[in-house]
Amino acid sequence: MTPNAHSWSRAILPPLLLFVVVLVVWEVAITALRVPKFILPSPLAVAQAAWKYGPELRTGLAFTSGAAITGFLASFVIGTLIAIAFSQSSLIRSSCYPYAIFLQTVPIMAIAPLIILWFGTGFHSVVLVAFIISLFPIITNVTSGLLAVDPDLIDLFRLNNASRWQVLWKLRLPNSVPAMCIGAKTSSGLAVVGSIVGEFFAGYSEKWYGLGYLIPAWKEGLKQDRLFAAILASTLLGLAIFTLVNVISASVLSRWYHVPNDES
Amino acid sequence: MTVRNWLIAVMVMMSCLPGCEPASTNPNNPSGNVLKDKPPAAQLTPIEIQLNWKPEAEHGGYYAALVHGYFAEEGLDVKLTPGGPGTPLMESVATNRIPFGVDNADKLLRARAEDAEVVAVFAPIQDSPRCILVHEESGIKQLSDLQTTPGVTLAWNDSQPFAKFLSKKFDLSQLQMTKYSGVGPFLLDKKYAMQAYNISEPFLAKQEGAKPVTLLLSDAGFNTYTSLLLTNPKVISGQPELVRSVLRASLKGWRRYLTDAGETNRHIAGLNPEMPEDVLAFGVTELQALCRPNDLPEDQIGRMEAERWQTLVRQLEEIQLIDANAVQAESAFTTEFLSQ
Repeated sequence: MTPNAHSWSRAILPPLLLFVVVLVVWEVAITALRVPKFILPSPLAVAQAAWKYGPELRTGLAFTSGAAITGFLASFVIGTLIAIAFSQSSLIRSSCYPYAIFLQTVPIMAIAPLIILWFGTGFHSVVLVAFIISLFPIITNVTSGLLAVDPDLIDLFRLNNASRWQVLWKLRLPNSVPAMCIGAKTSSGLAVVGSIVGEFFAGYSEKWYGLGYLIPAWKEGLKQDRLFAAILASTLLGLAIFTLVNVISASVLSRWYHVPNDES
Repeated sequence: MTVRNWLIAVMVMMSCLPGCEPASTNPNNPSGNVLKDKPPAAQLTPIEIQLNWKPEAEHGGYYAALVHGYFAEEGLDVKLTPGGPGTPLMESVATNRIPFGVDNADKLLRARAEDAEVVAVFAPIQDSPRCILVHEESGIKQLSDLQTTPGVTLAWNDSQPFAKFLSKKFDLSQLQMTKYSGVGPFLLDKKYAMQAYNISEPFLAKQEGAKPVTLLLSDAGFNTYTSLLLTNPKVISGQPELVRSVLRASLKGWRRYLTDAGETNRHIAGLNPEMPEDVLAFGVTELQALCRPNDLPEDQIGRMEAERWQTLVRQLEEIQLIDANAVQAESAFTTEFLSQ
């Protein structure tokens, strides 16, 4: 095996095997302990439900992932702009940063219904909830990345009569890229959570509904097999978005970290 | 002294402690303290009843039984546990984690379709308070008018059985549908229609100056027994006297609530800030017709008919909320504990 294939199989096989073992134990436990299906469904029942309700799950997945990605991109762009503003003025930073912290601590289950009430039901409100919940990690990470620059480098720039804009564009922003990646990883997961929570309250139209609409509806009917399938879909969505952000971060950072090597 | 010796000394002292208390075999009063009067609660059997929502008028009779001591008269120390969205009521009663619950007939049948063995023993609210609330100004006089009136927004939780029933019975495709979010949006738009219980929302709307019209689901043919007392086969066969006691007290409670609800409503309002006493009092006046339709005699409050259950099973099958033949109507309820 090539080194790459070998390291991939070392990464993938153990968790995969564990997954299979857990599935087998789960299935056996359900049968042996005669657990009723409305308490815990068997893996087979979940798989069957995922197949039977594939169309609904796909629609839900499409809507939720659309809202999550839109919310995340919005929080990334706007969060970076806010962080830039924070880095340029200590007055803005000291007066506004506490409110950014508020975004982190406000319980989303309380905020989501208010947002739906003020902005109406529909896609835009779900995106707004996802945006609000995923904004803070971007602001906090990018701000610290923009500010934590080696003072000697700033002096170097000043000595060469660099303008404020040049310092920002050529020094601070590149310096903040690793922090931006860290913030993006956290935000991406939160955006998925935010979309689903938003959908609990936001409702639907006949054709469009998210996973957060299916989950309470199936829960109410005690349809645990479908419910588990929907929860699984939500988890996979979070995982997919996280992996995507990770891959993009890794390629950006590997390009970034190559620069010192090329110079030597 | 050394740590080891100290530990031994502590253990020896602790082993002497049980001997200090007079032994008692009464599990309700383990300390066996006979010197002070035993409070009545120490002799009562603790029983939990899980409600399907926060305390409201629809639970009034059960709270009346609590407040006026009818449960205590039966030797029961009842705890009425409020519910909310996502409360696993059916699961808890089916697994006997909680012996009794209060919920509605459609929810019960859906649970039974998933093999949850929950059985209804008492149906205090015979006719469902479920309705669609519209404004008088909209000109809508009955549910079928929703099909023909333009510009109507309908706010409801569309996954509910009554919603699926209406969607199937009437062509509601041209209605703008949205999620139920309380009376607020209703007051702003005269063409707004929303799901409601006729025992609360109409009063709230009138208080704000609106002229609401209630369109009852039962008039459209979808009539679920409401606030049923539920239990499971284990309790029914293993503790029939307990079921009889709870039912007797509940019946007395509902009879009291319908005629004299003041103290009970004060208690409920104290538990649930969203339900002030005036709304609850309005609820009681509406409950008269719902609990005792066609002048049902007081002692027959709670009765159940096989035909009602069979109809509901058929309706739920038609709207595909339960699979065909998944539920036998006869096993969903029992009248053996009702006095008639």
